[in-house]
Amino acid sequence: MSAPVLSVRNLSIDYVGEDSDFHAVKDVSFDIAKGEFFGLAGESGCGKSTIAFAIARLHQPSALIRRGEILVEGRNVLDLDKKALEKFRWTEVAMVFQSAMNSLNPVLTIEAQFHDVLKTHLGLSREQSRKRAEELLALVDIPAERLKSFPHQCSGGMRQRIVIAICLALNPKLLIMDEPTTALDVVVQREILQRIDVLRKELGFSILFITHDLGLMAQVCDRIGVMLEGELVEVGDARQIHTAPTHPYTKKLWASMPRLRGAQIGGEASL
Amino acid sequence: MAFLLRRLAFYLAAFIAAATVNFFLPRVMPGDPIQIMFGSANANLTVENLNALRLTFGFIDAPIWQQYLTYLQSIFTGDLGRSIRYFPAPVSEILGRATIWTVGLVGIATILAFIVGTGLGIFAAWKRGTRADTAISLLAIFTTAVPAVVISLLALFIFAYQLRWFPSGYAYNPLLDPALSWTYISSVIYHGTLPMVTMFIVLLGGFAITMRNNMINLLGEDYIVMGRAKGLSENRVMFWYAARNALLPTVSNLAIALGTVVGGSLITEVVFNYPGLGNVLYQAILARDYPVIQGQLLIMTAAMLIANFLVDVSYVLLDPRLKKA
Amino acid sequence: MKQLLVGLSKNKKAVIGLSILVIILLVAIFAPLLTPYGASARVGRPHQPPSWEHWFGTTRIGRDVWTQMIYGARTSLAVGFGAGLMITVIGTVLGIIAGYMRGKVDEVINFFTNMILVIPNLPLLLVLAAFIGQASPLVIALILGFTSWAWGVRVTRAQTLSVREKDFVKSAEMLGEPKWRIMTFEIFPNLISIVGINFIGSVIFAVITEATLEFLGLGDPNAVSWGIMLYNAQNASALTVGAWWDMLAPCFALALLGLSLALINFAIDEVANPRLRTGSRLNRWKMLVRTGEGRI
Ligand SMILES: Nc1ncnc2c1ncn2[C@@H]1O[C@H](COP(=O)(O)OP(=O)(O)OP(=O)(O)O)[C@@H](O)[C@H]1O
Ligand SMILES: [Mg+2]
Repeated sequence: MSAPVLSVRNLSIDYVGEDSDFHAVKDVSFDIAKGEFFGLAGESGCGKSTIAFAIARLHQPSALIRRGEILVEGRNVLDLDKKALEKFRWTEVAMVFQSAMNSLNPVLTIEAQFHDVLKTHLGLSREQSRKRAEELLALVDIPAERLKSFPHQCSGGMRQRIVIAICLALNPKLLIMDEPTTALDVVVQREILQRIDVLRKELGFSILFITHDLGLMAQVCDRIGVMLEGELVEVGDARQIHTAPTHPYTKKLWASMPRLRGAQIGGEASL
Repeated sequence: MAFLLRRLAFYLAAFIAAATVNFFLPRVMPGDPIQIMFGSANANLTVENLNALRLTFGFIDAPIWQQYLTYLQSIFTGDLGRSIRYFPAPVSEILGRATIWTVGLVGIATILAFIVGTGLGIFAAWKRGTRADTAISLLAIFTTAVPAVVISLLALFIFAYQLRWFPSGYAYNPLLDPALSWTYISSVIYHGTLPMVTMFIVLLGGFAITMRNNMINLLGEDYIVMGRAKGLSENRVMFWYAARNALLPTVSNLAIALGTVVGGSLITEVVFNYPGLGNVLYQAILARDYPVIQGQLLIMTAAMLIANFLVDVSYVLLDPRLKKA
Repeated sequence: MKQLLVGLSKNKKAVIGLSILVIILLVAIFAPLLTPYGASARVGRPHQPPSWEHWFGTTRIGRDVWTQMIYGARTSLAVGFGAGLMITVIGTVLGIIAGYMRGKVDEVINFFTNMILVIPNLPLLLVLAAFIGQASPLVIALILGFTSWAWGVRVTRAQTLSVREKDFVKSAEMLGEPKWRIMTFEIFPNLISIVGINFIGSVIFAVITEATLEFLGLGDPNAVSWGIMLYNAQNASALTVGAWWDMLAPCFALALLGLSLALINFAIDEVANPRLRTGSRLNRWKMLVRTGEGRI
């Protein structure tokens, strides 16, 4: 096996309070291999988003990384200076936010939101950006005319796919998706995940997929980590986590899930 | 477009409301309205002149609604009556002359204050919690909490009377004749600077605080975090992701802030004895020159409505969500 | 409500603002004990500079400036809080009704509110006061109270619109509670901070506007207030003749009162809106980063 794309080592994150701290992430370690679809599950408030933000150093006061390392391709993200960090973001780690519907800037056209990232990182001109943006939109089945639209003129599912297209603009090594589909109905949700799975196989990036829907996760992921109140209590194969969970909390999670529906999305899509 | 037309209709209604106040006020006061309105001028008014004035203000032998229509008609034909104090000078002429000075003074001060204040607000919000933020916030609180009249008087005391850097009154050296010469223009600048800077300070804090709070409210929004996640430069995120969006509520607050602009300008002009609308109004109040006082309300309302309309237009231009609506 | 008060007691701006306000209040209440002179009595020669007998000098007609200032505080506080209360009550009641009832009622209230907001306030007040003649502080307070509630309606209505969608309001509706009960006991308590901001803001506005109207010569020249002090000083050309104390004393008083109220207002905003709060959490965070106990 080659070196992992992402390696989180003994990560602890606190939210600083007036006189005591809230330990949101406690000594968490896990790896994501190249091309792997990794899932992070756990109930609301267990610290999943906190980890996701920390990976791209997007956490803001009062979040504070107390201990640990975040290695992307062997480089500790926490050591990057301001310039290196700006360069690192999006070229190596791109991110779909928990509410991807609201993560497009309402006053800029879709085109401008492709262009600023392409210009900043690759120095592309307007025309070059437009061509590249058209290709990217094609990947997620969105017609090129949409480039001239503003976000409010697109439907929720469309916006979601546009964000994913922007994420792929620089061929990142890792795509973080923080509950990217919770606001969508089940059909659209499936469609988008299938699409991403196909793209992953084509382009070879890894995925960190966050959700509290363990059932959905078991359908799409290669490996799964289960979190409980800031701790990573179990990491394993999707199949193992599904059929033979070892930690009592994982069992409890399964017990609270409705029956699994449908086959593996990955399997279906590769037909 | 429909949006702007609706706003225009609304502004027309507001203007008529202001005119209605003018119409009814003398009539609901105890005593004879004609005596109230023109009493101070009985001595130097001929019968014809008095009759003309009565007609302008709707004092005719007819039911009240006809009087009202007569008054509205005079207003919409631009007839605001004549000044009692400076009889027979028409009110519109007196106010027109003063308006030029006020628009110059207030216009420049407001635009500068908006640009600088908004800039300070953006900076304070971006650096929130730092010393710079605290300093800007306190400065802004201070300038919004201290009455314009106090700020003006202090400026006058310090810079005109103590330091003698600036003159204490007038728009230009009264010995000069208005002309397009450097002497005249430099005199206008010399006399206008202190009142202008004072207005600027009066307005600055309000703009800064509004922008700061609007922007801080937005900083947690996902599209701003995404802007940072995209690895864009700090300036790009600060201006095009955060400030550009925070500008929308700021601009819609601007409409209300314009009331402060109008009020502040009145005071500044009185204190600095500047020959704009404020000073004309002050003189009119002292002489109880009611036609001028009433005309003033209409002019100021009209100015405020036009400014509001410009704000609406810029809002439509700034917010893509409104353009096609 | 309790939360708000606890938050305020920990907020530095609130504590400073409130302390200044209390001092001004005490000075106003105990004015007769703090000066040997009567407020309107001529007690010295005209335009005496500050001295041991006359701490802040005398006016052109020989009144004691310090005495006028502390008695004037009574007027400013009374007009400010009286008019402020009126403005807030009218604004809150109309705002909640408009936001909760919606439909026709809302349209009517909203239309008038917006109309009043675009007619410039000070010129309108000037016209009103000019026709009334020499308006006493009480009359000024009443005019302000009746004409200046529009901003309060706007913000209260906006807030009501979001509160009325909350679950506890919906469940009260399901239980068939009468509308007035819902508005008073379910909605109003959730608007406390907005109402507080509106109240303090209105007090500031009333204090400033009263002084302004009086300064412009629309007040009752026999009243004892900071605005009338300014008016008299202006008429006496105090600055031109070098009697700066005559002008600066009321200026200082107005600035101090305005500042204390604005600090309180800003603090309420900070406490009520967690996003605006910067305070001690952030300081501790910065300290931890500096001492290397964590990384950002
Ligand atoms: N800015 C903050 N200040 C203080 N505590 C916070 C802050 N942000 C999050 N927390 C706390 O940290 C914990 C972890 O939050 P996080 O957002 O990572 O949860 P999550 O697992 O993503 O939950 P969800 O599934 O609801 O998105 C939560 O208990 C939350 O209350
Ligand atoms: Mg989350």
